Amino acid sequence: MPKHDTPLLDELESGPWPSFVSDLKRQAETKPECWDILGQLELSYKDKITHWKHGGIVGVFGYGGGIVGRYSDVPAQFPGVEHFHTVRVNQPSSKYYTTENLRAIMDLWEKHGSGMTNMHGSTGDMILLGTRTENLEPFFWDLTHKLDQDLGGSGSNLRTPACCLGQSRCEWACYDTQEACHHLTMHYQDEIHRPAFPYKFKFKFSGCPNDCVASIARSDLAVIGTWRDDIRIDQASVKEYVAGNIPANGGAYKGGDWPAFDIKDEVLDLCPTDCMWMEGDELKIDNSECTRCMHCINVMPRALRPGTDMGASICVGAKAPILDGAQFATLVVPFMKISKDNDFEELIDFIEQVWDWWMEVGKNRERVGETMQRIGLPTFLSVMEIEPLPQHVKEPRSNPYVFWKEEEVPGGWERDVAEFRKRNAM
Amino acid sequence: MPLTKEELKVKILEKAMNAPKPQLYVKDFYKCDPETKPRAIKNAANELVKEGKMTFWSSGSTTMYAAKGRAKDEESGEGIN
Repeated sequence: MPKHDTPLLDELESGPWPSFVSDLKRQAETKPECWDILGQLELSYKDKITHWKHGGIVGVFGYGGGIVGRYSDVPAQFPGVEHFHTVRVNQPSSKYYTTENLRAIMDLWEKHGSGMTNMHGSTGDMILLGTRTENLEPFFWDLTHKLDQDLGGSGSNLRTPACCLGQSRCEWACYDTQEACHHLTMHYQDEIHRPAFPYKFKFKFSGCPNDCVASIARSDLAVIGTWRDDIRIDQASVKEYVAGNIPANGGAYKGGDWPAFDIKDEVLDLCPTDCMWMEGDELKIDNSECTRCMHCINVMPRALRPGTDMGASICVGAKAPILDGAQFATLVVPFMKISKDNDFEELIDFIEQVWDWWMEVGKNRERVGETMQRIGLPTFLSVMEIEPLPQHVKEPRSNPYVFWKEEEVPGGWERDVAEFRKRNAM
Repeated sequence: MPLTKEELKVKILEKAMNAPKPQLYVKDFYKCDPETKPRAIKNAANELVKEGKMTFWSSGSTTMYAAKGRAKDEESGEGIN
């Protein structure tokens, strides 16, 4: 029986799509606090302002993250959501669950919380929505002791690392993203569970430049699989694609008004660096010009594959538009071997060098990408002890942000103009 | 010479108790000892939380530190806002 009239929310049930309003009403039959969520949301729609207060000192003992305090600013009207804290649970790498595990988590949340979830948050965690402060410790005990799972990151912590499916399902993965993600999650438990930085910091691991976890746009440190030798070509399969015997792009280019597959239209002319051409019925690639856009490989996966000398590019500084605008990550290390054989030592050294610099010079609530932008890439590269490379320069000459230092120029900045003019007359 | 961890903790707690703002960012503690690395300062502040002398206050996206009793507490309405 509805506790509040919700005419505005009810409108959201009238469309052709599944509605969270219907879900909440169904959940309210066993969790009455869900009526108060609907009631408060209806009030927010009327008032055109949120009635949630967020933040607080809630948490579980020993942890400084994983719980986001949330309170109603109209608790007398909606007592069921007086406290409505969010809990972030660290997802398994690549989000592989057994149904048994998912049911156990849902049972736990029915027991200690509202039963409402958000699968998944943008960081990758399972988001469990709505519980009271006094339920947090019992929930945490059950989660860690019965399910052997842990909270994720929030606040100024390292956020829960996330990865693509990687080598578990994808033939293009250039390193084991799951292994890297799991290893770094375990290595940085302190940074995930307790605040460490001027602001949030996110890792994401993508196995190839398709970047299925959007690490280049959504993480402070993106580890994106790549290769440094040549794209592998199976010329027999190229001929099969050209003849139309293998459907291009897994069959996506068919039906509707798609014409027959034309390798020139669909592959060669779409190569961003124009590095592909046909010689007779043989496909040729100038690999030195390839930017690893993956388009040709995506279109003809049975003919083209990444090379065999695999590793990852490391990009730093992406962020969503919370303070300044959104920005993509900047390529910093074009190629690094990513291997569990040395416990990801090279990657860990790099990460900690970034952190040491950012913790020192980053302002409060400034993402590392914003610090890089404020201080400048030349300084960042010099602190990271990385020589400027052509790959660091987005548009040569129009964007000359790699400068010489005086000590690097013979004779420094001082010039004898008369002497110079003897050799270079006006 | 950098302070010892215990000396650093005393300085951090003093700052947390006496600063005009009740809630402080970790960077606000860096001046407690300019010779100590930020990571060591963070570790000392987190240890004070573990000992129950300070608390974390988190908005969800940012985390701040406060001496126990000074943080804005949405539940009890206590603390200096």
